Amino acid sequence: MIFKIAFKNVWRNKVRSLIVIVAITLGLAGGLFTVSVITGMVDQKVRSGINNEVSHIQVHNPEFLKNFESRYSIPGSDSIAGIISKMPAVKAICLRTRITGMAASPNSAGGVQIIGVNPEMEKEVFSLYSGIPDSAGGFFIGSRKNQVVIGWKLADKLKVRLKSKVILRFQNSDGDLNEAAFSVNGIFHSSNTIFDETNVFVKKGDLDMITGNDNGIQEIALILDDVEKVPVIETMLQSRFPALLVQNWMEIRPDMGMITTAISIEVYVILGIILFALAFGIVNTMLMIVFERTRELGMLMAVGMSKSRVFRMIMLETIFLTLIGGIIGIGLSTALIAIFHRHGIDLSAFSKGLGAFGFDPKIYPFIKTKLYIHLSFMIVLTGILSAVMPARKALLLKPVEAIRVE
Amino acid sequence: MNIIEIKNLIKVYDEKTMPVFALNGVDLAFRQGEFTCIVGPSGSGKTTMLNMLGGLDTPSNGQIVIDGTDITMLKSRQLIDFRLRNIGFVFQSFNLIPVLTAKENVEFIMQLQGVNKEKRDKRTLELLQSVGLGEKINTRPNKLSGGQQQRVAVARALASKPKFILADEPTANLDSKSAENLLEIMEKLNREENVTFIFSTHDARVVAKAKRVVTLEDGKIVSDIPKN
Repeated sequence: MIFKIAFKNVWRNKVRSLIVIVAITLGLAGGLFTVSVITGMVDQKVRSGINNEVSHIQVHNPEFLKNFESRYSIPGSDSIAGIISKMPAVKAICLRTRITGMAASPNSAGGVQIIGVNPEMEKEVFSLYSGIPDSAGGFFIGSRKNQVVIGWKLADKLKVRLKSKVILRFQNSDGDLNEAAFSVNGIFHSSNTIFDETNVFVKKGDLDMITGNDNGIQEIALILDDVEKVPVIETMLQSRFPALLVQNWMEIRPDMGMITTAISIEVYVILGIILFALAFGIVNTMLMIVFERTRELGMLMAVGMSKSRVFRMIMLETIFLTLIGGIIGIGLSTALIAIFHRHGIDLSAFSKGLGAFGFDPKIYPFIKTKLYIHLSFMIVLTGILSAVMPARKALLLKPVEAIRVE
Repeated sequence: MNIIEIKNLIKVYDEKTMPVFALNGVDLAFRQGEFTCIVGPSGSGKTTMLNMLGGLDTPSNGQIVIDGTDITMLKSRQLIDFRLRNIGFVFQSFNLIPVLTAKENVEFIMQLQGVNKEKRDKRTLELLQSVGLGEKINTRPNKLSGGQQQRVAVARALASKPKFILADEPTANLDSKSAENLLEIMEKLNREENVTFIFSTHDARVVAKAKRVVTLEDGKIVSDIPKN
């Protein structure tokens, strides 16, 4: 009965309740949409970073990471790769030669990481190739030797285009200086401008041919079937290969790890502030309700309604009011997010700035289910906390005085 | 046998600054089935007396024994439960819960008592029929006249099967026809079901129907006249 009365009481003054509900709805919908845009941006950046740049886990010779010297390769990389590829949850692996060098054209030059790959293995782990449109070539199309795939930013800097020649100059694993001309076979476009400017892909076989020996494998990159399994597999790998350095994507790219952690906290801060602000409106409304219903509350206590029941009734009314607004707010924001998630928000007008920070100019907002669950608890908690003061006010009423209030 | 015994009841307001004796040594007893009016001029202590009897206010001194229990010794929580199970209230301004129907308003008290649904439904219907509102059980208070609302309040007061009903100026907000109708119902309940009513009133029509009239002045009983 308390439940029923509390629910009916919410609709006693429809206009007032609707104003509060609309305030909660708009506050939450706005907050959730903002959060979804931020989450979408960061998630795209992280996914793009994982899929195009770092994969889930990388294995290196620890010495290699100090100066990126190619002589520090992974000993026995083929047998290690065989073991890793049979591990549970490992979806695909690829072996890479990494050499620090220089890319030059008649117009310009710049320092780059030369990544020697097996294109087929590479495609299993990284999806950079899939973002290369036909107009920008491809990821090692054809069997011609000395092909290079470069980023659009580097192409821009070197003022080269498809089929242009680019000179790659580097020190091989023996310390000798080598250089060779490569033909631009594809121009990729990740969402990270810096990556697009500083990385070039060549076939490992071409590199070995130029240097006249096997440059070794400096990097094994793994992609798992579930990102949540990264910590487990990382630990397993590290204990299996203690002489090597196993790193997860957050360790390889601390900026990505940091932004993910920061955003996961920030979304709660944003929603917490919104709910905190809304709580004031709810408290004010409920105090008015208690004030208006003084006589009725006095009557209820006079006829034998216990203080705990009165407290519960006010609590429930507040929670109902908050929950109704909360549910509509979540519903509205879900619809908004779904629409914008399908079509994306085009911020290409700011693509230069966004790209410099590794963000995609087209944002697909989304929110994790976990956040909706946490938000539901936060809404109920807001309702409960907002109810404390009005409910306490009701408890302090003396029935003998309250029943005579006009 | 007395169901209520009041012994040397004193209520002083502003005890420390300017003491006002709202009740000054009242001794009184009520038997089962009485239909008593407490009358007196404004400020005589009628409302204070009803508040004390209803356990809504605490006396400065004295005892109120209801069916063997000295309610002045009960703690706040015990008093609430005592009121729920022993005392029915009818207020001057009806005080129904506006969001509930007539049936729900009556049923509510029994729900607080923990009566099961089957018994609640049966008794609610009986009570509303006994006050002539069998056809209005699903009507909300705002669709009922003042008289009808007060009859629902009487049914609600009876719902808990109280030992007695305290009615504070129950006809004050009613037109004469509604007041007459309400009094007839209360009289009938008193006559046929031996329900004990204690009124505080200024209304001569209520006084005329009473079987006993207690007059208060300056917090003291100046007359206690039984009528036949």
